[in-house]
Amino acid sequence: MRGALLLFRKDLRLLRRAPLLLAVLVGYPLLVALLVAAALQGEQRRPTVALVSLDAPGRTVQVGDRRLSVDDYVERLQEEVDVERLEPARAREELDAGRVAAILTIPEGFIADLQSGVRQPTLELVTSRRSPIEGEAIQRRLESAVYRFNQGLAQGYVRQVLQLVDFIVNGGSIAVLGRQGDVIGLVRGRELIVDAQAELRRDGNTALALRLAPLISFIDETQNNLDLARPAATAISSPIQLSIREGARGREPLSAFGMAGALLVSLALAGVLLAAAGLSSEREENTLVRLRRGLVPLPLLIVEKVLFSALACLVVGMVLLAAVAGLTDLAVGRWAVWPGVLLLAGAAFGAFGALVGAAARETRTALLAALMLALPLVFVGLIPGDRTGVVADVVPFGPAFDVFRTLLADPTLGSIGGSLALLGGLTAVLTGLAALVLHRRAAT
Amino acid sequence: MADVDAPPLLEARALVRRYRRFTALDGVDLRLLPGEAVALLGPNGAGKTTLLELLAGVARPTEGTVTWGGGDAAVRVGWVPQRPAVYLRLSVRENLRLFAALEGADDPSAEAERLIGRADLETVASRPAGQLSTGTLQRLNLAVALAGHPAALLLDEPSATLSPDQRLRLWEWLGELRAQDGLALVFSTQSVQEAARHGDRMVVIARGRSAFAGGMDDLLARWGSPDDGVDADERAFLRLVEGTPA
Repeated sequence: MRGALLLFRKDLRLLRRAPLLLAVLVGYPLLVALLVAAALQGEQRRPTVALVSLDAPGRTVQVGDRRLSVDDYVERLQEEVDVERLEPARAREELDAGRVAAILTIPEGFIADLQSGVRQPTLELVTSRRSPIEGEAIQRRLESAVYRFNQGLAQGYVRQVLQLVDFIVNGGSIAVLGRQGDVIGLVRGRELIVDAQAELRRDGNTALALRLAPLISFIDETQNNLDLARPAATAISSPIQLSIREGARGREPLSAFGMAGALLVSLALAGVLLAAAGLSSEREENTLVRLRRGLVPLPLLIVEKVLFSALACLVVGMVLLAAVAGLTDLAVGRWAVWPGVLLLAGAAFGAFGALVGAAARETRTALLAALMLALPLVFVGLIPGDRTGVVADVVPFGPAFDVFRTLLADPTLGSIGGSLALLGGLTAVLTGLAALVLHRRAAT
Repeated sequence: MADVDAPPLLEARALVRRYRRFTALDGVDLRLLPGEAVALLGPNGAGKTTLLELLAGVARPTEGTVTWGGGDAAVRVGWVPQRPAVYLRLSVRENLRLFAALEGADDPSAEAERLIGRADLETVASRPAGQLSTGTLQRLNLAVALAGHPAALLLDEPSATLSPDQRLRLWEWLGELRAQDGLALVFSTQSVQEAARHGDRMVVIARGRSAFAGGMDDLLARWGSPDDGVDADERAFLRLVEGTPA
C-alpha cells in the first residue's frame, strides 16, 4: 500500500510539473463541455410540431361558463411549440424528413369524450428517433401544455359544481325540457319546516312537531357539508398556486440536462485519459519492470491510477459545478453529495482508462485508443430514455449521466441508488479486468 | 573476487520458459557465488534476457526454480534492464529518492544522496532524467538498482548503447562496486571480449540452452583453431553457437 501511495505522490508531482498538460486536461474537457452544453441547449429552442386533428371541426364543449374547442387547445400548445397543421400522411413524411420534431394527433371524438365527463380523451405524441434529446424536450413542453389545459378545464368543472352546490343550498329557477320551474333549496326548505314546526306547536300538536326535528338536523348537516365542499373543490382545482413573475435579465440560462452532459463529457475525458496515459507511461518508461518485481503489485498499481483519476475528476467536477453555480442561473445544490458522487464516477472512468492503458503498449496509442473508445460511448451515455442495452450497462458513462441528471434536476434522490451501485460494480469489474490484461501483457 | 568456499548466492535449476508454443529457455542451470561475475554470452534471441528476467523475478519460470541466498528473503538483487527504467520527467534525485522509498529505505533522501555520490551524478542531480546523455542515464539506471543494497546485480547488456569511453567508465565503476561492496554480477553481452574481460566465467546461451560454461581458455581449447589468428575468440564462439562439435 505504501508503494501505491508513493506512486500517487509521484503522479501528482508530475501533473503539477506539466502546466501545459494540466491546462489541456482541464481546458479541453471544459471546451468540450461548453460545446455539449451549447448543443444541448437545443431543448430551449422552439421546436416545430405537426398537428393532426382527426376530430370533427367546429365541435365545442361547455365547461363552466366557457365553451371550448380544439382551437383553444391548439392556442395553448402554441405557447410552447410552433404548430403546423398537417394531414396524417404528410405529417409522417415531414417527421421522417426531420422537418418537424414530433407529430401530435388529436383523436376522433376528442371533444365528445371531453363532453362526456366519463371517458378520458388521449392525445398521441410521436417524437423523432433521430433526435431523442429534442424529443424529450418536446415531451416535457407538451406535458406542460396539457397540464395547463387540464388545469383550465378543472377550474371550469369546479365552477360548474359550485354553481350546482349553490343551487342546492339557495335554490333558484331551473329550465328542464323547455319548461321553467323553481327549486326552493335547503335554506328556504329549512325555513318552511321551522315555520311548520312552530305552527304545529302552537296548535298543540307537539308530537308531530317533534317528528320534524330530525329533518331540520339533516338539512343543517347537509348544508354544513356543502359549505365545506366549496373550499375543498377550489383546492382540488388548483392544488398549488404558482405565482410567476419575470425577473431581471441575467446571464445565459443553462439547463440541468446540458450541465449534466457537460459534466459527463469533461469528467469522462479527464478520468479516462489520465488513467490510460498514467498506466501506459509506466510501461513506456520501462518502470513497470522494476515495480512488478514486488515493489508495487500490479493490481495495486491499477488501483493507484484509478484513485488518481478519481481525485482529478473530483477537482475538475467541483470547479465546473462552482463555475456553473457562480456564472449561470442553474441552481446546483446538494454540495454534500457531489464529492462522493464525483469520486465514484471518476474512479469508474479511471478504471475504464486503466483497462485501455493496460492493453496499449505506448502512451500515444493509449491516449488515441482511449479517446476513440470513450467519445462514442460517452455520447451513447447521453441519450436519454430507457438505456437497458448491453452497451449502457458495461460502460460507466450512462449510469454516471443518470446520477448527474438526478442530482441536478430531480427533487428526490430515489432513483440514484441503482446507478451508484452500477458505477461501483463497473469500477470493480473494470479494475479487475485492467489488472488481468496488464498481467498478461507484462508476461509477453 | 568470488568466495569459492561460501554457499552459492544464486541457485537456478532446470529453468524453462515458454511463451505459448515458443520455448525461450529450455532447462538452464546457473550458480552464482558471492562476489562472482558471470557473463551470459549469446547471439540475439538466444534467451539471455529471458534468463535474467527469471533470475530478477520480473517473470516466472514455466518450470524450474530460482533460489537466492538459500531462500533467505533478506537477500536483495538489483535489476538493470537494458532500456533504462526510470521516470524521465522526474529529476535524478527524485528518481533515486522514490526508488529508495519503494525499496523500504528508512531515510530515502539520505539514501538518494549516497547513490548520487556513488554514481558520480552530483552535477546532474537536479536535472530531469529525460535530459541526460545515454551514458549518464545508464549510470542512473544502475544507481536505482543499487537502492535496495543488493548482494548481486543483474545487468542486461549494460554497455550495448554506450560509446567506448562511457563503456570504459561503466566497467570501472562496476569494478569498484565489486571491490568495495563484494557485489556479485550476472551480465549479458554479445561481445566475447567483454565477457572474457569482465566475467570470472562465461555461460554461453544458444537457442535457449546453456551451450558452454567456463573460461575463455577452455572455450579456445575446445572450439578454437590454430588458423584463427587475431579473431580466435570470436571464431571459437561462433563455432560453439553454430553447433560445431568441440
